[in-house]
Amino acid sequence: MSLTLSMDFPFRTSIEKLWLAITDSNQLAKWITENDFKPVVGHRFQFRHEPSEWWDGIVEGEVLIVDEPNLLSYTWATGEERHTVTLTLQDLGGGKVNLHLEQIGFSNVHGLEGAKHGWSEWVGELEKVLAE
Amino acid sequence: MNENYQSRDVFNAIADPTRRQLIHLLAEADELPLHELTAQFPMGRTAVSKHLTILKEADLVHDRKVGRETRFRLNASPLREVQDWVAFYNKYWNANMLRLSQLLEEEDE
Repeated sequence: MSLTLSMDFPFRTSIEKLWLAITDSNQLAKWITENDFKPVVGHRFQFRHEPSEWWDGIVEGEVLIVDEPNLLSYTWATGEERHTVTLTLQDLGGGKVNLHLEQIGFSNVHGLEGAKHGWSEWVGELEKVLAE
Repeated sequence: MNENYQSRDVFNAIADPTRRQLIHLLAEADELPLHELTAQFPMGRTAVSKHLTILKEADLVHDRKVGRETRFRLNASPLREVQDWVAFYNKYWNANMLRLSQLLEEEDE
């Protein structure tokens, strides 16, 4: 299967600080988890979350695109899920920066190519129809 | 006979735009016969029928015979599986971004 998660997070900060927060290993450790991330194309890294009963907590990735300070993209794999995470930074002016996150998921279990976009929107829309 | 059970993956069932359209049509109606569904598509009843079978296999559609016609009804509960997938990552990022926001504020002080 495939599915796109699309989210926007506005922060009161500078684009340089936000870029550092999403690319520097020490900073990432403070808001995601322990990791060996480097903003270098081709670098392979792990995000090591606390394991739980149903998840080993390990996310493995490879850096795909580094365009400082505007865009960062990496693969993001855990269990049987293979995803791509793309972070886009946009200076909104007035001390605000928007962080746009897209996570496109592919699961080996389902392995489907169809309907790559807007699945979450579609499901949300349908839920609304059903709730009426 | 009316057999309703899930033998097909729900993600597979909704991967196709025609089947998503069928779900939408059934979501807006209580129950629809095949000919009314077929009228909405530029394809024959055999093709629509095949799509309905796939939806039935994913337990997204239930059917019953009324006289000579078969009527179809939506069963939306398997869609939870799809929603949960999104909900998990939604939650994951929301929690992380909240921490990031706090981190950026701390640095400001």
